[in-house]
Amino acid sequence: MSGLGGAPDGPNDVLGMRLGDIDRDGAIAEAVAGLHDGDTSRAGFLRGALLGSGALLAAFAAPASAAGGKVRDISILNFALTLEELQAAFYTEVERNKVLDGALKKQADTVGAVERAHVRAFRSALGRAAIRRPHFAFGGATEGADAFRKTAVAFEDLAVAAYKGQAPRISSRAYLASALAIHSVEARHAAWIRRLAGKSPVAGPFDEPLSRPAVERIVAQTHFIMSTTSQSKGPKFTG
Amino acid sequence: MRSVAGRGVTRASLVRGGAAVAAGGAALAVWPRDTISARSAKQDAEILKFALVVEDLQSAFYAAALDRGALSGELLEYAQVVAEHEKAHADHIRTALGASAPAAPTFDFGDTIASPESFASTAIKLEDLGLSAYNGAAPGLTAGALADAARIVSVEARHISWIRDIVGKVPAPRPTDKAISAKQAKAAIQATGFVR
Repeated sequence: MSGLGGAPDGPNDVLGMRLGDIDRDGAIAEAVAGLHDGDTSRAGFLRGALLGSGALLAAFAAPASAAGGKVRDISILNFALTLEELQAAFYTEVERNKVLDGALKKQADTVGAVERAHVRAFRSALGRAAIRRPHFAFGGATEGADAFRKTAVAFEDLAVAAYKGQAPRISSRAYLASALAIHSVEARHAAWIRRLAGKSPVAGPFDEPLSRPAVERIVAQTHFIMSTTSQSKGPKFTG
Repeated sequence: MRSVAGRGVTRASLVRGGAAVAAGGAALAVWPRDTISARSAKQDAEILKFALVVEDLQSAFYAAALDRGALSGELLEYAQVVAEHEKAHADHIRTALGASAPAAPTFDFGDTIASPESFASTAIKLEDLGLSAYNGAAPGLTAGALADAARIVSVEARHISWIRDIVGKVPAPRPTDKAISAKQAKAAIQATGFVR
């Protein structure tokens, strides 16, 4: 296990990252542009947009194929945004509480930065269609290493299952490409924290999806989300 | 013995009877067109055939590494667990494709399985390749095929995270994972030189 900055591609890759840097190696840009091959004006438009503002956002800016699909896509993006807000607030709070050290702190700091980047990407993509930032209360979950570990495992496995459940319902291929690019990162997070929690990083050869109602039921049972009517500029941490 | 050659026996006999030099190219000929066009069952099958090449490659790699016996500790545990997963993925896709499924190619992993270090760096490379190829191809699948493929994709991501953590690399260094086109994935596989 390396220390902070010990690995060649250490956490500095993500800490302090700006939104425009979200796809620095251009992988998503290429993928998205590739999806529109054969439609040169669209591809050209996308490539131009990608250069300016980050691939994820450009992907989100692509129109859904049909009006009905677009409405559903926005609903799915907002659902994903809620889960990302939940995770981002959780990691941010545990970081503030300074209850972690060593490998666990490195995981929380790194993953927290990534989840916050996901939030920013979804917010920018959705613009005024984005839901308001909820209030959260994590209680004891952010107040000690054991509780943190347990909750983080649950959150990350839940996020993987949630993205997996929504991916086939997304109409826009550009949105889908972006969701998939995040889905597998959540799976990396899940495996990482599971190993730190002494669990097998990969429980079996297939990961199963969860429907949106199933995910919402699980989240509701945590009582972590206090409201969805915040008007403040930033999150209010009540835990 | 769970030999790699044994797994690819049908392919191997074909290769011996034909143009061995072209075999690598033939194995990769199942890859889909680079541009993702309208979704269809036909395109699903093309994408699944290319996914099968990746899964066969990974499955054979871990089987060969276990046969070689150079691994110990958590790296050995990783290889044992992941070998089973990749085999399950290949079996699953082969079943889905039915009679149109291509036989497994034969592979030669050379010295990459001779030491824990080269095993780990090669495993990371192959898992990265698989994940980014899946992420690139998945948007071209019909909803049902996508739902099924997604059950595999996140498992590949978990593999990468696990082995990166074992060797001291940050398991998830970026906010989004790469997606590569079929053309790029094919080139990357050819560049490994593992396909005979």
